[in-house]
Amino acid sequence: MTRWIALMSLLAACSGGSTEKPKPEPEVVVEPVPETPEITPEDLKNSAENTALVPSPIETQRALEAAGIDTQLATLIPAHDFDLDNGDLEQAAVRSGVYLADMMLTVKSAEKDELIKRLEAVRKGMNQLKGGSDIDAILVDYQESLKTDAIGRDELLKEFDELSGAVIPELEFNGQERVVPLIEAGSWLEGANLMARAVKQKGKPDAADGLLKQPQVVDYFLKYVKEEGAEKAPVQVAEKLEESLNTLKGLAEKKEPLTEADIDSVIKVTSDVLALL
Amino acid sequence: MLTAAFATALLSSPALADEKQAEECVNTKVWDSYGDGWGVRTMTKTTLAPGKTRNYLVTLYAGNEYRIQACGDESVTNLDVLLYDTEGNLLSRDEATDREPMFSYTPSSTATYYVVLYLRELKERKDGAGVAMAVTYK
Repeated sequence: MTRWIALMSLLAACSGGSTEKPKPEPEVVVEPVPETPEITPEDLKNSAENTALVPSPIETQRALEAAGIDTQLATLIPAHDFDLDNGDLEQAAVRSGVYLADMMLTVKSAEKDELIKRLEAVRKGMNQLKGGSDIDAILVDYQESLKTDAIGRDELLKEFDELSGAVIPELEFNGQERVVPLIEAGSWLEGANLMARAVKQKGKPDAADGLLKQPQVVDYFLKYVKEEGAEKAPVQVAEKLEESLNTLKGLAEKKEPLTEADIDSVIKVTSDVLALL
Repeated sequence: MLTAAFATALLSSPALADEKQAEECVNTKVWDSYGDGWGVRTMTKTTLAPGKTRNYLVTLYAGNEYRIQACGDESVTNLDVLLYDTEGNLLSRDEATDREPMFSYTPSSTATYYVVLYLRELKERKDGAGVAMAVTYK
């Protein structure tokens, strides 16, 4: 059991949940339904939820290896020089996503101090985004456990997997709907940047086709940058983010295989956004 | 406003309890297989009415193996999980008649797909049942 299970239970309880089961009603005949739901492509498109849309950083690493590139993305992570005190929503969310991705990719290999520093950056971001006191307490607990070697790296990876895949998508961030997609955008942009650099390093641009062409993912991020973020985001960040995502969308929709120039383009546009955080 | 919220909370309590039950079932499956190398993409829960579907857009990488699994609460006798491409073609599904459907899928190309949860049968009359779904990868 991970620490998050307790937090998720608490979240349910705070939402008015109760463990008391309803009394069962008398058994009735249930109308039979078709074996396969009557569902059209339009229904699918119009009613789909995006909870599971964005791949995780570790999943990206595995796909890279399956594509014949054995580079460990963790070895390509730069020393980010982010302004952690900037609490602006967009920047704090994207920055937190970047740190979350870095943390997951390096959890097994990073020095203890480095990992604690990344945890502190995620914690600071979560507080700026109003993630709540429970998540803060758990992140502090991780830091303390790391300092005293009370938690193993495998266990920590498991905790981070749940944090990224189940806990953060369920957090409400004080009603700010854009926070989760922007955190995911940060993780995905960092992953795309590292992946493109790995592909370039190995001189295998054709391998990038199966890794970087994710038009629906880019569309999902663009929706939050364009429709809801334009007026709120700092102009420079919003413009650069939109510009970068549009370039990535163009490459993702390209029918021909990606070229070395395309990979350079991915590296440039993602680096440009990361440099503004 | 507060009264409405309170009423909503009261009405939704059994639904939340059912979701929690389904979630615990999926959590157990996910963490039991974690040691075998199955990483977590997503875990989510919701309440589904009988005969209804809930669908999730997922990006799946070529070369990775995916396991899509779900659980219904104890009132569910048949919950199905299906995988469609973006053209609406059914690619895979579970065939069992139970409340814990699961299947594996290895995509030949990186693309987005739809995972559809389909609540087919309950053992008792209810407006909805708690269901939970997880996508894991290896």
